[in-house]
Amino acid sequence: MATLSIKGVRKSFGSVEVLHNIDLELEDGGFLVLLGPSGCGKSTLLSIIAGLEPSSGGDVVIGERTVNDIHPKDRNIAMVFQSYALYPTMSVRRNIGFGLEMRRVDTSSREDAIGRAADLLQISHLLDRKPGQLSGGQRQRVAMGRAIVRNPDLFLFDEPLSNLDAKLRVEMRTEIKRLHDRLGTSVVYVTHDQVEAMTLGTKVAVMKGGVIQQLADPQTIYEQPANMFVAGFIGSPTMNFLNGTLENQDGKLVLHHGEETLELSGVAKGASAYVGKKVVAGIRPETFSKGAGPSALTGIVDVVEPTGPDTMVVLDVGGQMISARLGSRERPHPGEPMTLSVDTTALNLFDPETGDRI
Amino acid sequence: MTSNPQSIMASSRPLSTWDRINPARYIGELSETRFWMYLLLLPSALLIMGVVIYPTLYGFQLSFREMRLNRPDLGTDWVLLKHYQRMLSDQIFWISLRNTAVWVTAAVTIEFSVGLIAALALNRNLPGTKVLAVFILLPFFLPNVVAGHMWALMLDPRLGVINDLLVKVGLLGGYKAWFADPSTAMAAAIIVEAWHSFPFFTLLLLAGLKGIPTDLYKAADIDGAGSISQLRLITLPMLKTVIAAAVILRVIGLVNSPDLLLILTSGGPGRSTQVLSLYAFQTAYKDFNFGYAGALSVIMFILLMMFAWVYVRLSKVNQD
Amino acid sequence: MAVARSRSKLVLDIGSYVVLIFLAFICIAPIVWTFLTSIKLEEDIVTRNMIYIPTRITFEHYVNLWNQSGYPVLVVNSLITTSVTVLICMLTGTIAAYSFSRFHFRGRTQLMLAYLIVRMFPAVLMIVPLFIVMRQVGLLDSSIGLAIAYTSFLLPLFVWMLKGFFDAAPKELESAARIDGTTRLGAMFRIVIPIARNGLLATAVFVGIAAWNEYLFALMLTTSQGSRTWPVGLQLMVGEFQLPWGMLAAGGIISILPVIVLFAFVQRAMVAGITAGAVKG
Repeated sequence: MATLSIKGVRKSFGSVEVLHNIDLELEDGGFLVLLGPSGCGKSTLLSIIAGLEPSSGGDVVIGERTVNDIHPKDRNIAMVFQSYALYPTMSVRRNIGFGLEMRRVDTSSREDAIGRAADLLQISHLLDRKPGQLSGGQRQRVAMGRAIVRNPDLFLFDEPLSNLDAKLRVEMRTEIKRLHDRLGTSVVYVTHDQVEAMTLGTKVAVMKGGVIQQLADPQTIYEQPANMFVAGFIGSPTMNFLNGTLENQDGKLVLHHGEETLELSGVAKGASAYVGKKVVAGIRPETFSKGAGPSALTGIVDVVEPTGPDTMVVLDVGGQMISARLGSRERPHPGEPMTLSVDTTALNLFDPETGDRI
Repeated sequence: MTSNPQSIMASSRPLSTWDRINPARYIGELSETRFWMYLLLLPSALLIMGVVIYPTLYGFQLSFREMRLNRPDLGTDWVLLKHYQRMLSDQIFWISLRNTAVWVTAAVTIEFSVGLIAALALNRNLPGTKVLAVFILLPFFLPNVVAGHMWALMLDPRLGVINDLLVKVGLLGGYKAWFADPSTAMAAAIIVEAWHSFPFFTLLLLAGLKGIPTDLYKAADIDGAGSISQLRLITLPMLKTVIAAAVILRVIGLVNSPDLLLILTSGGPGRSTQVLSLYAFQTAYKDFNFGYAGALSVIMFILLMMFAWVYVRLSKVNQD
Repeated sequence: MAVARSRSKLVLDIGSYVVLIFLAFICIAPIVWTFLTSIKLEEDIVTRNMIYIPTRITFEHYVNLWNQSGYPVLVVNSLITTSVTVLICMLTGTIAAYSFSRFHFRGRTQLMLAYLIVRMFPAVLMIVPLFIVMRQVGLLDSSIGLAIAYTSFLLPLFVWMLKGFFDAAPKELESAARIDGTTRLGAMFRIVIPIARNGLLATAVFVGIAAWNEYLFALMLTTSQGSRTWPVGLQLMVGEFQLPWGMLAAGGIISILPVIVLFAFVQRAMVAGITAGAVKG
C-alpha cells in the first residue's frame, strides 16, 4: 500500500503533446479514477504510471520512491487490462502465479497465494482450465486474481469492464468495490464510463486533451463541475446549458433567456461580477419539477420517454431543447405546453468565453 | 489478503552463480534499452544488405562494365552505356519485350478471371466446398519443374493425353506438337502458367471477400439489386485494394521469374516464347555475358517500377 | 419476389458447385495423370492407343529413379538446403517480425516498405552478382551458399507473413508480462512466440516449400552432384535420356509428395498468413 504522486508529467509523441503537465496526488488506500473521452490521454498516463511507457518529463512517485527509471516489474504494481491479457497458452493457475514465478517465489508459497486469491474471487474450480475455456466474467476474475496475488502497492485498472455486457459490468463493478474495501490497496482506474467513476472513485480526475479538467471527489465533480466540459461529460441525460444574460432586478439576480426569466437564489458569489453580461446556466435534468415558481421555464413538450422509475421530458423552450427528469407519474403529451420550475440552488453558471464555472 | 508483501519477498530465492553468468540475463537487460527494436532487426537487415542490396547494386554497376566469364581477355573495364546502346539494335531484346507484354497481360488476365470466379464460388461457403478449396489452391504450391513436366507430358506430341482427348471429341484432326509450333507455344505456356498461379488470386480475393460485411449484401437485396449489380457495385469496389496488391505482386512474379518458360520451351521455338527475364538469364547462364545480362535486368527492373508506379496511381485515381 | 430470389440463389449455388468441381478437377487431373503414368509399364506409356487406367501396375520407375539416377543424393541436398534456409529465416526473421509487429520506432514504416520492395528486385539481376560473390567466398556449389541465396527472397516474405501472425496477439500481453516480472526478451520468448507458434510453423512450412521447389538459383549456383537440388537434377534427366517419362513422372510424384502432405497439414494457417501479409502489404 502506498501513496501515489505525479508531478508535472508530460508526454509527447513526436511533436504532438498528449499529456500537458499533469499533477496528481492519491492518498494511501484511495481510489483514483481517470475519466475522460477516448484520446484524452488517460490510458497514456496509466502506462506512464506502470512504467510501460517513458514520460517526456516530470516525476512519478509511488510511496517514497521516485520510479521514473524503474522497470515495471520493480515498481511493485499490478495491472488489469481491458482485454484481460491472460496468457492463452497457460492454465489459469499459472496465469495467476506467473508474477510470483518470475519473482522466484518457491512453489509452496506460490500455491498458497494462488489458492487464497482464487478463493477470494471464487474461481478455485477454474484453476486448471485455459483462458480460452472461460466466459468473459470469469476471465475478468482471473485477471484480477493475477493482480491481487502479488500484494502490490498499487493496482492499475485499464478500462477493465468495457468488454463485458451490461449486467455483468454492474456485477463486476460491485466486486471491484468490495475488493478495494477489503484489501485497502490504492487504485488508479481508467474509464470512460461516468457511472463507474462516480460509484468507485474516492477521487475522480476528469481529463480532456491531455489536461486534467478537474480533480475532486465524485460529489463535488457532479455538483460543482469546474467547467462546461466536466459539467456536460458527467450526468445522464446531460446537463442543460441555457444561454442568457445576467441582470440585477430589484436586488435579485435574474437570468433572461428569451422571454423567460429565472430568478437566481443561492448562486455562487462571483456571479455578481457578471451582471449585464452573457452567461451559460447549467441545469441538471433532475432539478426540474412540474409547476410554476419564481424560477420557471415554459415550453412545448416535444418528446416523452418513460424509463420506469422516471419520465424524461424534452421541452422546447423558445427553440432550445431542455431535458428534464420527472417522476414516473408525470405523463405529459407531446405538443402540450408545460411549465417546469428550477431548483436554482443546484444551478451552475459558466462563463461562455472560457467555459469555466463562475 | 492475509499475507503481507514481506513474507512473499522473503521466500524469493537469491541469485545463484549461474544466474550471474547466464547470457540470457544480459540479453534480457539489453532488451530493456531503447535500441532493442533495432537490435532485433539487425541480423535480418544485415543479411538482406548482403544478399539483396549489395548484389543488386553490384548488378547495376556490372551493367556499365565489360564482364564475360568465358572471355577473360576482354577484361572488366567500364564501358559506360555500351550495353544499353547494344540493346537498342538488338532484335531479340525487342522481341523479348513484346513477348513479355503478351505473356504478362494474358497470364494475369486469365489468372485474375479464373481466380475471381473460384473465390466468388468458394465464398458462398456451400457444404463440401472446403475440400474442393484445398484442391483448387494446391497447384500454387507445386514446383515449377513438376508443373512444367506434368503439362509437357499431357501435351506431348506422341503420347499426350490432351491430344488424345481432343482428337476423340473431334476438335483436333491429329496429335499436335503444341510447344514446337511457334503459333501455339506461347498460348500453351500461358495455359500452364495460369493453371499454376491462378490459385494465388483465389487466395487473396477470398480473403478480401471475407472482409466485406454481409450487411451490405443484405441491404442490396432489400434494395432489389441483382447478383450482377451486387458484384459490380459492391464486391469489386470493395476488393479494389486487394485486387491492386494481387495484380502488382503477380506481375512482379511473372516479369521476374523465367523458370516456367525455361523448363517448357527455353524461349523457343525460334524466339516465339523468349521473354526478357529468360533472355537475361540465358545471357548470363549460357553466354556468361554478365555485363549485358545486368543491363537487361536493369531495364526490366525499371520497367517494372514504372508499371507499379503507374498502376498504383491509376487505382488511387479510380478510388477518388 | 421471394420465390424469384430463392430460385436465383439455387441457380447460383448449382453454378458454384459446377465451377468448383470443374476447377478442382482441372487442378488435380495433371497430378493424377502424372501419378498414373509413373506406375505404368514403359510400353503402356508410349503406345498408339492411349491407356487411361493402367491394367498393369509397376514400381520399376521409382526403383530405377532411386537406384540409377542419383536421386537420393539430390533429395538429401534439397533437404539440407531447405533446412538451412528455414533455420536462417527462423533465427533472423522471427525477431525482425516481432520488432515490426510490437514496436513503433523511427523509420519503421520505411524499413517495412524496404523489406517489401526487395521482393521486386529481379532474380536475374541478383543471380549474377551472387554467383560472383559466392565464388569469391567459396560458397558456390554448396548447400549453405544456396540457402543463403534463397534468403534473399524468402526472408522478406517470412518477416511479412510472420508479422501478420504476431499482430494477432494482443499487445497488452507484453505489458502484462513485463509487470509480472519478465524483461522484453522474456515476454517475447515466454508469451508471444508460444502464442504465435502455429503461425510460425505455417510460415516456416511456406518458406520451406518455396526453398524445396526453387529452380533458378539452384541452376545457376550449383554445378555438381555435391550440392545440386532435385529440381535441377530432374530437369537434367530430360537431356541425359530420351524423355524418360516414367522416371520423370516418378521423380515428380516423389518430390511433390512432401509438399502435398505439408500443405494439407498446415493449409489453413498458411493460407491465413499469406493473405494477411499480402493484403496489408
